[in-house]
Order: sequence, then C-alpha cells, then structure tokens
Amino acid sequence: MRSPDRRAFLGLGALTAAGIAGFLTGCSSSSSSSSQDGEGGEGGDGGTLRAAFAGGGSSETLNYLLGPTALDFVRARLVHGALGAIDAGQPDGVRYGVLESIEISDDLATYTLRLRDAVAFTDGSPVTAADLLYSLRAPDELGGLPFTRLAGRNFDLAAARVVDDRTLDLPTLTPIADGRLLLCQSMLVVKEGVTEFTPQTPSCGPFVIEAFEPGRQTVLRRNPDWFGPAIGEEVSLSEIHLLSIGDPEARVNALRGGQAEFVSGVSPATARTLADAEGVAVTAGEPPYVSNLRFVMNLAHPPFQDERVRRAFRLAIDRQAIVDTVYFGRAHLGNDVPALGFPGYHAELEQRAHDPEAAEALLREAGHAGMAIELTAGPELTGMVETATLMVEHLRAIGVDATLNELPAGQLFADYEAYQRLPFAAGYNPPAPFEPNHTPGNFPDIDELVVTARSATAEADRTAASREAQRLLWERGNEIIPVFVPTVDAHADGVGGVRHLQFPDLSLATLDPA
Amino acid sequence: MTWRDVALRGLVAAGTLLVLSAVIFFSTDVLPGDAAGIIAGQDATERERAEIRERLGLDRPAVVRYLEWLGDAATGDLGRSAAAGRPVAEVLAERLGNSVLLVALAAAVVAVPALVLGLAAGLRAGRPLDRALSSLTVVLLALPEFLLATGLVVLLAQHWSLFPAVSMVPAGDAPWQHPDLLVLPVASLVLGGLGVATRLVRAAAASAAEHPAVEQARLDGESGARLAWSYVLPAAAGPALQGFTVMVAGLLGGSLVVETLFAYPGIGHEVAQAVTYRDTAMVQGLGLALAGAVLLVLLAGDVLARALDPRSRPARRGGGAA
Repeated sequence: MRSPDRRAFLGLGALTAAGIAGFLTGCSSSSSSSSQDGEGGEGGDGGTLRAAFAGGGSSETLNYLLGPTALDFVRARLVHGALGAIDAGQPDGVRYGVLESIEISDDLATYTLRLRDAVAFTDGSPVTAADLLYSLRAPDELGGLPFTRLAGRNFDLAAARVVDDRTLDLPTLTPIADGRLLLCQSMLVVKEGVTEFTPQTPSCGPFVIEAFEPGRQTVLRRNPDWFGPAIGEEVSLSEIHLLSIGDPEARVNALRGGQAEFVSGVSPATARTLADAEGVAVTAGEPPYVSNLRFVMNLAHPPFQDERVRRAFRLAIDRQAIVDTVYFGRAHLGNDVPALGFPGYHAELEQRAHDPEAAEALLREAGHAGMAIELTAGPELTGMVETATLMVEHLRAIGVDATLNELPAGQLFADYEAYQRLPFAAGYNPPAPFEPNHTPGNFPDIDELVVTARSATAEADRTAASREAQRLLWERGNEIIPVFVPTVDAHADGVGGVRHLQFPDLSLATLDPA
Repeated sequence: MTWRDVALRGLVAAGTLLVLSAVIFFSTDVLPGDAAGIIAGQDATERERAEIRERLGLDRPAVVRYLEWLGDAATGDLGRSAAAGRPVAEVLAERLGNSVLLVALAAAVVAVPALVLGLAAGLRAGRPLDRALSSLTVVLLALPEFLLATGLVVLLAQHWSLFPAVSMVPAGDAPWQHPDLLVLPVASLVLGGLGVATRLVRAAAASAAEHPAVEQARLDGESGARLAWSYVLPAAAGPALQGFTVMVAGLLGGSLVVETLFAYPGIGHEVAQAVTYRDTAMVQGLGLALAGAVLLVLLAGDVLARALDPRSRPARRGGGAA
C-alpha cells in the first residue's frame, strides 16, 4: 500500500511549483489551471491523497440521497457532477458546474437551466436536459433525505419542460429570486433512470469509484474525461482514498503517523496543539461556510413570550469569551441573525454587546428576576456543549437560575417532537442562505417580509425586505446565535488546494512531495 | 461430563441468549428518539419524518417488531441497516472474522505469560514474588482499555514510530495480511486481559497447591517447574481454563473500545458507529451476535473445564446426572 504512494510521490518533482500555485489560489474561486504545464497535458499523476473523515460505519452508502454522514456527501460530490456551488464572489452568487447558466424570468416564476456543452457521463453518453430533470426529481422519487429535497420544495418539478437537449424550463411553486442558490447548493447530476448507486453507476464528476467498502474506505481514481478543464478546474491527484475513522483521536493519530494526509473534523483543543506541530497545518472554513450555533428560546415557554426576557438573555452572553475559550479563536462572532457571509447577510446591524447590567435590569423590569431555566445541549456540533456551559454561567451572573441538561451524542435531535418542546435548547444549521431556510410561524410580520425578500420583482425591494426581516429578528427574535463555527481540518504540509464548501472539497487538492 | 450435561448447558445458554435478546431489543428500542429523527435532520417537515418512520417500520408496536426480529434472527436474517439498507448479517459476516482474529491473537499471546506468572505466583502465595505480581496485575486491571491503548499509541506509534497508530486495512485486503496493523490493537487487548488471566491462574494454582496430591509430591521432593508442570497444572487446569474463557469473553467486550480507538474493521467498531448514528437494527443485530459469541465462549470454557477437572471424573459413574 505504501510503496505505490512513494512511487507516485517521486514522480512529482516537476509539480512542486504547480502544487504551491494550486494551494495559493485554492481558497479563491478560480484554481490552478497552470498546473497543466507540469503534468505534460496528462494530468492526474499528482499522487494519492488519503483523507480521513468520521464516516458512518456500515450506514455509509453511495446513494447520497440516503447517506446521512458528511463523508457520504463528500464522496458523492467527488463522483457526481454538481450543478454549481455557492460563491458570493460571482455575479450570480454561484459558480456554475455542469450548468452553464440559470436565467430567471422577469416575474421570477420560471427558471431556465442551460447545460454546459460536451459534458458526458463515464459511459460516454452526453448529459442531457432529461438527465438534469431526472436528477432534480430523484430526491423526491427515490425517497431522498429531507436535506436533498430542496428543489422539490421550491420548484414545480412536475410541470418542468425539456426545451432541447441542453435546456430545461423549471417553473417555481411561488415566485422566488433565490432559486440559483437553492439549485447550486447541493444538487448533483445523475443519469436518467438510475435508481441504484454502485461503483459502476455512470457519473460525471472529477473522480470515479474504484473500490468502496462502507465504514472502511473508498478508493477514487481521477476521471480523465471530466469537464472541469472547461471551467478552469484541473484535477492534479491521481487517486483519493477516503478513510472512515470514527474516533476523532484516531483520525489525528492517522495524520501524525503519516497514514493520512488530510483529516476532517478536528476539535478546537486538538487544533491548537496541532497548529504548533511540525509538518502539519490547520485550516478552517471561512464565512459563508460556517455553521450557526443557535440557542432557541421557545416562545411557548411563558417567560420567553416577553420580549424583554429574550433581550436580557441575549445581552447576558459574553460572545467573545465563547470564541476565545471554547474555540481558541477559531470561530466567528454571531449577532443573532443567521447566514453570516452569504450575500444577503445584514452586516450593518450593530454587534450585540455583552451587557450584564442592562440584562439584569431588563429581567427585573419584566418581573422574571431569578427565573429558572434549563438549557439542553448535546455534542452535535463542535463546542456546542462547552458553549452551553459558558452560557449557563453567563446567565447565572445576571441572577437566572440556569442549569445545563447535557445529552449524550446523537440524542438531541433524535426525538424531534420532544426537542421542539424544550424551553431552551441548543441547535445548529449548516451553511445556508437565510431567506429560503427561514422557518415561519413565530412572527407573522417577519414571515411576510421574508416572502417579499424572496419574491419581490425588484431587487431593491427584496434586499430592503430581507434587511428589515433580519433587523426585526435581531431586535426581538427568539434565537441566540453567539458564534458561527467553521469545520476545522488538518493536513500534512504539502497538501494544498482543498476548498471549504459546506464540506471539504478535495477535487482540486494537490500534493507536494517535499 | 456427559453429552446430556453438555446439551443441558447449551439449553441454559440458549435461554440466556433469549433473555438477552429481549434486553438488547427493548433497551435500544425505548431510548428516546429513533433513526428517523437522526436521518431526517433538522429541516425536515412532519410529513417527511413520518414517511421515514414508516419506511423503517418504526410505526408498529415494539412487541410485534421484537417477535418478528427474533423470528427472522433465528433464520439468520438480522434485519437491515436503517440508513443504507445493508443487511446486518452481511456486515456481521464481513466483520466478525476480523474481531475473532484480534481476540484470538490476544488470547493466544496472553496465555503463556498468564500461565507462567500465574503458576509462579500461585505456588509462592503470600511471598514477595506473589505480592509484586499481584500489584502489577492490579495496576493492569485498574487501567481502562482506552488508557492502555492511548499509552501504546503515544509510545510505540508517535514517539518511536514502530507501528501504525491506526489500523487502516487497505481496500480489498484482510487484516491478517497486514500484521503491523494488528500489533497495537492486540497489544492493548493483551494488556487489558493479562491482569485478569494471571490472577485467575494464580487463584487456581494456589488452591491446587493445597491439594493433598501436590502436598505429597512436595514431600517427595518435587519442586520448581517440575512440580508446577506435573502436579499443580493438571489440578489447576480446569478452573484456570474456565477463568481463561471468562477473560476471552471480556476481551470481546474490550474489543469494542480498542477497535474504535484504532479504527480496526471489526464488529466492535461497527457497533460504536451504529450507536452514534442510532442505527437500531445494526446495534441490535450486532449486539445479539456479540452476546451469542460471549455465551458460546463461556459454554466452551465450562464444558472443557469440566472435562479437565479430575474431581468431576468420578461423577461419571453416577450416569451423569448433575
């Protein structure tokens, strides 16, 4: 196992410069097309990257519509072509992949999706509008998990119309302006009629599956016919081995022992130690690719119906202390509104201060001084329990009789009905734009603003409505979002080009043999 | 020990397994929430949640599901993983051999030092060597497996870089093809089991040493290794073997921790992952298999110990009634 790797490394001398170039540009949206020179036009002899993820034991599956773990999606994203990716730096807010463009009708009721020319599946057949439509319907028709069903919730897939081989007309359920973000967030393309996902299933991504053993590893080989070069994306690696290592300590041990070059999901404390270690570098996702850690004050719980109590709780929290002591600086200050880093994020809102005196006064004024509250949290997101612990302390400092109910891993959301009844509970959202993910029901005026923010025909009206909705949420909403948490990864020196999307994207990663 | 005895003990083990199956099924079933909650994620609608629950068959009464599960298990069908739909029996078949390899290697490695040290200590009960060995085994017993394993990783993998820290077996290969990947997990289990095994052998040897026949041999001038080998060991073999199988059963449990720490592709690692993802069918199926394996080992130990115990031999005259 090790000797082929060495051989692959040895042939890499000429690639060093290209590899570094790839690393430097890897964080931006463009990438290292210059690496072509070093590869003599062949490409993909850049070695084997072994990347370890938490995995999901035998629950791992090639059917990304059903796979519940990050690894399942990381793998699928390497194997199947994506419609695009969210990229705030692009004019449309997205960077297109299999798609060449998405046009929106003036009434925001029809989206026209145009496929890139000459994108083909591994069986040689071209990717057509019929494949695209099938792919959009597949999550609903193949019983996909809720997070895969974004398209069906917003578009009238039954009424979609194939215009020609490369063009698809997609009517919306109600007029929306943010459909590009939804379509490019996580949608992948599969061939029409595919119902089973095996290593032989035709695909059109940067890599193909050579071997798959659930709970152990996936061996991926570069797809020489990938359309990437057409959009300036060149694969350097010849192979990626995705390793499933459930225990976080074991993952880091694999990196330190040279059994993996990249590990995902490093704890803040370990990241701090690793940052000083020789031969290892730590990277973290940047906004918008950060999860919001939120604490929901249930409006069915009488004290929280009083706006002053909610504001008092928000003022009581020392957010900077959480960033410093829980995350050792590897987190971003939250301001009680979601979707930090997305184009629609209201960055001009005043940053909520830590003001225990004002908080205590507000509680007294509301007649809830010394109120008792139990905060429920579990280790579902890095630092969730530690943050909750600090928050309980902060609340005690303003006289609240706060206690922490810490659940073991996997229990917080397990009984979702019970979770929703909790008076005060921790939760989180993976990176996603605010408007389409807003849950209505608590504040009718905000819900209405969000509808306007999604459907007004004039962009200025949409922006104004979105900002007003966020301002109102900031003022009297029932969520405390103290921090945004990135995924922290570690890699051996010499690994470059890893992009942080919702999950690490290894397709353009490079290996430097030095 | 007659065939009737063996059959009787087998029946008792089967009954125990039946009780355990109910314990495993209901204890995993009554936990708050289910795979539907985990799989659905936070943004699912009520309808989507209900749909997943129905697809997984979680909407029917627990007793009905238990009886069905038990019936299926009897025919070798342990159900399917909640997420990916893989048959549990297939996962079991794939991983059980790896775990058995790990535990068998550890047991084999433990046997020799446990026997030598246990006999040496048992024959010198109360003397300095015995006391020193007792302290050592107590320390080993007191250290949890994860601490022993972590210690081994820090020293042998990170400090001296002698062995890989994680047992990532390459795709398509079996663990036995990569002995270097087995060293640390086996060593962790050995350290975990050595204390127990040595103490059990010591106890058996100490009590055998008081046996009149051993006393007689000692008076006849036998001593040292010869005394241990020819007189004490035969008398102590039965109980020692029984103790040994208890230790092996314990190793099966310990492999849960050790496999997880080394990402070793065994059944324990799989159980730990299934618990995290609340894959109830997987936890139940693999749990039942582990329970069955432990009972089988204990049964084998029991039967062999009886067969070896010289005191049980005269009982044969009585027709084998227990």
